[in-house]
Parts: sequence; structure tokens; C-alpha cells
Amino acid sequence: MEALFILIVVVVVALAFDFTNGFHDTGNAMATSIATGALKPRVAVGISAILNLVGAFLSIQVALTVTNKIIAIQGDNGAPIPSLMGVPILTIVFAGLCGGILWNLATWLFGLPSSSSHALFGGLMGSAIAALGWGGVKWSGVITSIALPAIFAPVVAAIVSAIGTRLVYAITDRLAPESRERGFRWGQIGSASLVSLAHGTGDAQKTMGVITLALIAYGSWTSTDSIPWWVKIACAASIALGTYIGGWRVIRTLGKGLVEIESPQGMAAEAASAAAILTSSHLGLALSTTHVATGSILGTGLGKKGATVRWGVAGRMVVAWLITLPAAGVVGAITWGIAHGLGPNAGTAVVLAILIAASGFMFYRSRKNAIGANNVNSEWEGGLAPAAESTQPVPAAGTPAKA
Amino acid sequence: MDIVTDTLSALWKVLAVGILLGAGLPALYALGLRSLNAGRTVNADGTVSGSASAGGRAVGFVILAVVIAIALFGIVVIVWGKQIFGA
Repeated sequence: MEALFILIVVVVVALAFDFTNGFHDTGNAMATSIATGALKPRVAVGISAILNLVGAFLSIQVALTVTNKIIAIQGDNGAPIPSLMGVPILTIVFAGLCGGILWNLATWLFGLPSSSSHALFGGLMGSAIAALGWGGVKWSGVITSIALPAIFAPVVAAIVSAIGTRLVYAITDRLAPESRERGFRWGQIGSASLVSLAHGTGDAQKTMGVITLALIAYGSWTSTDSIPWWVKIACAASIALGTYIGGWRVIRTLGKGLVEIESPQGMAAEAASAAAILTSSHLGLALSTTHVATGSILGTGLGKKGATVRWGVAGRMVVAWLITLPAAGVVGAITWGIAHGLGPNAGTAVVLAILIAASGFMFYRSRKNAIGANNVNSEWEGGLAPAAESTQPVPAAGTPAKA
Repeated sequence: MDIVTDTLSALWKVLAVGILLGAGLPALYALGLRSLNAGRTVNADGTVSGSASAGGRAVGFVILAVVIAIALFGIVVIVWGKQIFGA
């Protein structure tokens, strides 16, 4: 009975994480299209949500390897280590998810794009260390799956995007500005859609893997190379719903805060992101969508002559990336301590209450300078919060694309 | 340290393919747009004179079609590549 209660909580909390993953990452694909006015904000998040849903069903890779690269709670075939079956593994996963969710919400509150996967990994590492000691983490996996990709992903994406931007402007420099802007809007929409699809194939999978692992630990699922159909549907729906809600604060930072974007830059950036994400997932290398997208947008600012990059905003993002693992890890470790210390039932209930209260608090704070579809494109004046008078819809560069 | 070098060599491939497709496709798309607008000239005051030539439009649409085809092929390779081409 004890394990059943945690299992239910773990499944619900995992879906909640998937939801935050969706809305935190909407901006990776759609921020540039929203900023240039290629798509109206609501239309953009709608398209992105549908493509995330489709992507989640297209993902065919076995998802159990996601956690297995980072923490030592599973054997070589992905099945949980026998001595950890049941409550121990469920508690570790539960605490890890709490760390991931709270870090996602905190960075969203500050409008900072940060990797949802890193938040999840950080939370899991923290709870695994608290439960099993330093040996609970596979440090070589941390280097190859987290550290190296995090350093190189933004650089690779920025290089590709800067080259693309330079080429695109050189080729079209004699076009009338309006026909250029209009023409690239379509390219922008297409390339941004690719990024959304890629996001769905990659990120929904992680939550599917976590839930399947929990089901195996509880004993209600045995296969290590397939996923229950309802898990697939629930995860796909959660990430799509989260995407549709739209993390407007993050979208605003990416679309308006980092670089002022024109539609040729938008296309170059999204094409670079799509190529980097799809190629890396094909090679089995997990590049964070967030790191790639941010690098691409930065690169498009570097590639266009005369464009300014707001390095202060970029610096804040880098700081957030650096503290993602430790911050989510500390939350994961503390919540594991509470859940474990108070016992499976009471501990889980208390941690769940803390999680709900902290999430509610951050949502409440976000309402003080709410950002939504109406003011996401307001002029960037030194910070995330738009000037008070600009709560009216502000038309972005030009009017939306016409068919 | 094998895993580290493996990761670095994978990153190198991502950069190469990224430049080829991630920068190449937008450049090709830009060529298509330029071809679509061939024959139109922008005057010093910003107005546009002349009209797009039929040949330019035809070539432009072919280029755009090629861009779309490559992108779709890319999706197919990524999603079903392992079944089609083996691991």
C-alpha cells in the first residue's frame, strides 16, 4: 500500500514536470517567430503544441536509458537494482522530480531559458546522492551527457547560426526589404515547426522513461524495452498542454531580450537549431534544446552586421545554466531527506504539500508583472517587465504573414 | 577517456552537418527568394520597379521545393532512419 501511494504521486508529479518542460521550452522553437510577427503569439504556441504532441508519438527510442546514464539505480538492462525496488527508488525519483519542477518554475519566474533536462538530471543527482552517497551518481555519464554537451551545444549552434545569417543576408541584400521580410517568414515558420517536432521527440521521452522506471520499481510493469501506451498518451498530452499554455516570460527573453530579430535571422536561427538537435539525437548525443536554441539566437545576432547582442542578458542565462545542476540537486536532496525521514506515506504527503505551496507562490509572484500573449513583444527596456503603458498589444516588426 | 573522445567526435559531426544543413538550407532558401524576385529592382528611394520574371519565378519555386524536400527527408531519416538504414 505504501508503495502504491508514492507511485501515484510519482506519476502525477512526473506529468507535472512534463507540463513545465513544455511551457518552459515553447520559446526555444517559437520565440523568434513571435518576435518577428511571422506568427501571432497564440497561433505560434498552438502549432508548437500540436507538433510536440506528434513528436512525442514519433519517438521510438527506448527511454529507460535516460536516467541510467546519470544515476546508479538501474542495472545494465535498465531494470532497477533489486535492493532498491519499491519505495527506495520511488522516493529517489519523486525527490528528483520535485527538484526539476521547482527549478523550472524559478527560472521561468525570472524569464530565463534553462534546460529542463538539466533540471531533471540535477534533481535526480541530488536525491541519488542523498540516498546512496556519492556513488549514486555515474560521474562519467555526467561529463559525457551533461557537461560536455552543455559547453559545446551553444557554441556549435551559434557558429552554424552566424554562418547561416551571414549567407542569407549576403544573398538577399538586393531584395526589397518587404519582400525579404515576407519571404523569410515562411521559412521561419517551417524551421520553427521542425524545432517543435524535434523537441517533442526528445523531451517527452524523458518523462516516459521516468514513469516507466517507477512502474517497474513498483512491480506493475516488467518490460525494459517498451512503454505502456497510457504513459505515452499522458506524457504526450502533458507536454503539448504545457507548450500551449506558453512560457511567455521565457519567450520574451529569447525573442526580444537577447537580440532584436528580423525574419531572415529567425529562419537562420531556427534552421541551425533544428539541424543541431536532429543530428545530435540521431547520433545518440543529448544536446539540450534550450542550449541549442539560445546559442542559435545569439549566433544570429553575431552573424548580422550592425546587430547588437545584449551580453548582460546572455550572461544571466549562463549563470542560470551553471547553477541548474547544483540548485535542482540541493532541492532534490532536501526533499529526499524529508520524504525518507518522515516515512513513505507522511513524507511523500508533506513533500507534495511543499511542492504545491512553492509552485503556487511562484505563480502568485509571476502575476505581479504578468507576461502573456498581449505584451510578450513589448519593447525591451532593460528588463523582463514591460513598461506599464505597453499592456496594449504591440505590433511586432511588420504585420503577420499573409497567405 | 574513450567516452570523452567519442562525445567530442560526435559533436564534431553535429557541427559539420549543422553547417551543411543548418546554414546551407537557409542559404538555399535565400537563393530561391532572390530568384523569385529576379527582375525587380529596388530604387534609391526604396520603391520597387519592374516585375518578377517568369523564368526567375520558376527557378525560385524549384529551389524552394528542393529545400522543403530536403527538410522532409531529414525528418524521415531522423525518425525512421534506424529501421530503414539499420543501426
